[in-house]
Parts: sequence; structure tokens; C-alpha cells
Amino acid sequence: MSVTQKEIKTLARLSRLEFSDGEIEKFAPEFEEIIEFANKINEQVEGDTGSIREVVSRTVKWEDLREDEVKESLPNEKITSNVQAEGGYFPVRRVVK
Amino acid sequence: MKYRLVSGLETHVELATATKIFCGCTTAFGGSPNTHCCPVCTGQPGALPVLNKKVVEYAIRAGLATHCTINTTTHLDRKNYCYPDLPKAYQISQFDKPLCEHGYVELESGKRIGITRIHIEEDAGKLVHESGFTYVDYNRGGVPLIEIVSEPDISSPEEAKEYVEKLQLIMRYIGVSDCKMQEGSMRCDVNISVMPEGATEFGTRTEIKNMNSISYIEKAMAYEYERQIEVIEGGGKIVQATLRYDEHTGETSVMRTKEDAQDYRYFPEPDILTVVIPESKVEEIKNSLPELPTDKLHRYIDELKINPATAKLLYKYKRVCDFAERAFALGAGVKNTVNLIVGTLYSKLETEEDKEKFVLPVSADEMAALVKLVDDGKINITLAQKTLSAMAEEGKPVSAYIKPEDIAGMDDGELESICRQAVEANAGAVADFKAGKEKAIFALYGFVKKATQGKADIKKADEIIKKLILG
Repeated sequence: MSVTQKEIKTLARLSRLEFSDGEIEKFAPEFEEIIEFANKINEQVEGDTGSIREVVSRTVKWEDLREDEVKESLPNEKITSNVQAEGGYFPVRRVVK
Repeated sequence: MKYRLVSGLETHVELATATKIFCGCTTAFGGSPNTHCCPVCTGQPGALPVLNKKVVEYAIRAGLATHCTINTTTHLDRKNYCYPDLPKAYQISQFDKPLCEHGYVELESGKRIGITRIHIEEDAGKLVHESGFTYVDYNRGGVPLIEIVSEPDISSPEEAKEYVEKLQLIMRYIGVSDCKMQEGSMRCDVNISVMPEGATEFGTRTEIKNMNSISYIEKAMAYEYERQIEVIEGGGKIVQATLRYDEHTGETSVMRTKEDAQDYRYFPEPDILTVVIPESKVEEIKNSLPELPTDKLHRYIDELKINPATAKLLYKYKRVCDFAERAFALGAGVKNTVNLIVGTLYSKLETEEDKEKFVLPVSADEMAALVKLVDDGKINITLAQKTLSAMAEEGKPVSAYIKPEDIAGMDDGELESICRQAVEANAGAVADFKAGKEKAIFALYGFVKKATQGKADIKKADEIIKKLILG
């Protein structure tokens, strides 16, 4: 699995992170290592992802689902405390033309 | 060449639960921006979603009411996409194991529009675009939705209209959503393609996103049908694309084509375990469903013998039906009840929404009391209409308008003397009646009604008049 510098750039853009060309060059092989490590899981199950599914599909009982009762929400100041809110909104760069 | 229109709809319906799908924040419409929010619905790191039981219950209700099979083992999936209305950068939805599958909605013609699936998911936040910025409000984020996906069985804008109206009606009947298109609690994506009459393969389809009015759906479909034919006839090819409909120009335009289609990288949602729904629960929900609109309409026409036009005016509004049926149960005659509702009460309820809500200060008991007076011939229908109209405006009981002495029936002597006058004053009609024109007697009824201000028992008057004439 090879990771291209272009993919790193896309990831960085999606994550709103900025890196220098040097950093990106360095990250590509590092990412490859991480992915190779994660791929070991696939080797263990030898392509049989059904057993992974089983782990995922542990079940929840009907009684354990949440009752439809309103809980207090957080105040707007708290919800927006990590941004410079405007009129209570989260402002972002305009997404439509 | 003639072309067939082929269309399927994806309909999003906001569920009328009190709280969001994965947290206890309120689902109330409106509210100051970002005040119905918590760490879960704003996607804060470490926050864990817990599925709302009522969402599952409502989705099953919707599934059963549209004849779907229910998958009692079901899980949620992550649909990944990056957009500011989605704080987690993924939407929790359902991919390969939707809660409900393989249902249908029946149109008036008897044609069935297949329901491929109904799944549950969370709504996204609301975006407001102004000057150089987009402002995000997450109050709507996490509000529970069901997405109802139809088969491509719809073959005209009229069918699409009827299908959406039927869905709306069913969802309102079973109480899972108010389906207000103008408030966004119901919205449709319209898939549409055309194919030459007789062809066996579907044409390439386009999808018109986010339609929030039935009349726009009809117009957009009609426009897109013509546009696609024009492209094909001109030797061109339809490009698979997502379109938006401009309400002002009445035209569709391209938002994105298949080339920039996103890969959503669906995978099972690890934060929510697979849900196992007991069969007994599904059975319980099934038993709690009210009579469905189409069944009610048929019962009104076939069993209660309400004429079809009137029945159609009634069955669209569940609260009106509940009111009428309570009056029936209290002994009010069907015919007089429904005629008074449609004739008198509806004139007080101007808009669809008024009829939908059906808020009038007339109780079913008072309605039944009034109708029974008509049924028993104690007052005539005109007086009943006048009385009901006043009741609806003033909120007073029947007894405020019609005194016991008014209907204690006039004593027989008085009625007989009025009948005698009627016979004397209508010699022509009497002669006609004697000659075999049965309808001529109505002139005499009219005289009696007028002379007694509608209080006479016409059945009794009829007996007296016939005795007087025929001896």
C-alpha cells in the first residue's frame, strides 16, 4: 500500500491542516508504515472479514435503547466556546457560490 | 417517438419524537441558533451516541403502514462526507440492513408504488449563506429522519403527486410526523429518466434534490421529462447528474455530475451496537396502528354508505374522522353527521391546516345531540346548520339554542291545525298529489316547516297531511 503525497495533501486539506512540502514528503512513508501496521489485522483473518463483522455486531437489547426524554442542552456560549461565534452561529468559509 | 417517464422518489420524513436520534436534545423546530445542542449532536471527541427507542418504534410503524417487512436485526452505518452541516464529517445512517424493506403504497387507481426500503438516519444542520460566509446552526443536526425509497414505479407527475400525498396522509395518520413540506419536515429527491415506449432498458437518470413542495415536484418532473426527450431527440446523451430545481425560472440545473460523485465509504457504525428487535415488539406496534387512510375511505364508502365525494373530503383529516366516529358511536346518524361536518363545520375551517388541526369548540357529544334531533325529525336540517354554525362560533352547547319546549314537539292539536292550513293554502299541490305526483307533497312540508320555524316533526306532519288529503 503506497501513500502518495497527493493523498497526504488531500487529507491535510480535509483536516484543515497546513504542512510544508518537506513535511508532506516525510509523512508519506510514515503513513505507509501506519497502514501496513493496521493491515496486520487483515492478515490475521486471512481475508475472512465475516469474523470482524461478528465483533462489530454485538447486540443491544430493546430495553437498553434510550427513552425519548428531553435532557437539557448546553448553553450556546458553551457549544460555541471554541469558535468566534457570530449571532450564535458557527461561521465557516462560504461553501456555495 | 413516444417516451415513457420513469421515476422513483426518495422521501425524507422528520420523525415527531421529543428528542434527537442519538441524544436527549429537543427536536423543537426553530429556537435560537445552536441552543438545542450537546457534545453528541455537535460531534465532540469522545461523545457517544445512544439510539432513541422511539425512533426505531416510529420507523417500524411507518414500515408496517406501508406493508414493509421489518428486519428485526438491524444496524447503523457511517456515511462519510465532509461538509459543514455535518459536525462529525459523517452521517449515521443505514446502508445494507435498513429497518424496513419491500413495501408499497397503493394509489387510487389500484396501482402500487413499491417501497424499496425505509431506513433511519440523522438530519444535518442548517446552513445560512451570507456575504463571504456560511453560518452553521446545529439545532436540526441529529433530528431523526426516515428515508423512504420508492421503486421506479412512478410514471407521471400526477402519480408522483398522489404518491407523496398518500405518504403524507399515512405518516400523519400513524402519528410519526406532521410532514410539513414548507417547514422541511418532509422533502423529496426525485429520480427521473425517460425511455422510448416499448423499450426494456431504463434510460440514464438524473436526480433532482431537495424538493419541498408537491407542486414543484410536479413542475420539475414535467420540465425534466421534456428536457431529457429534447436532448435524446437532438442526438445527445443524458448525463447522470444531480440537479437543483429553480422555483423562479422553473428549470433544472446541474449541481454535480457522476464524475464528482462522492465515495461515502460506508462502514458499520462502531459506536452503536446491532439492534435486535423482539418479534413481540413488532407485533405490538402492528396492533397499535390505527385504521389506515385507504381502509378508512373504503369503509366509509362501502359500509357507512357515505357518498364517495364526501368520504374523500373527510378521510384526509384524521381528527375530523375521529370526531365524526365519536358522534356515530354516540348514536348520531351517519348521513346527517357528515353532511353537517362538510357543509357547516368545513366553512369555519378555511385552510388545509385548519382542517388538519380541527380545532373547534364543538364536542362530539354536542354534535351527536344536535344530529339526533335531526335524525328524529325534531328539527330540520336548515335549523341544525344554523345552530351548528353558531355553536362553532360561540362554543355553547345545543341547549343554548334549542330549548326543550321548542322540540317537545308542538302539541298534536297545534301541528294538526298548521297542517290543515297547509292543505288549504296549497290546493294545487294537493290536487297534483292526489293525481299521483308524490313529490307535490314537498310543497306542504315546506309550508309546515316555515310556519313552525323548522320545529315540526315532519314525519308526524306527513302522517297528518296524508290523512287530511286522503281521508
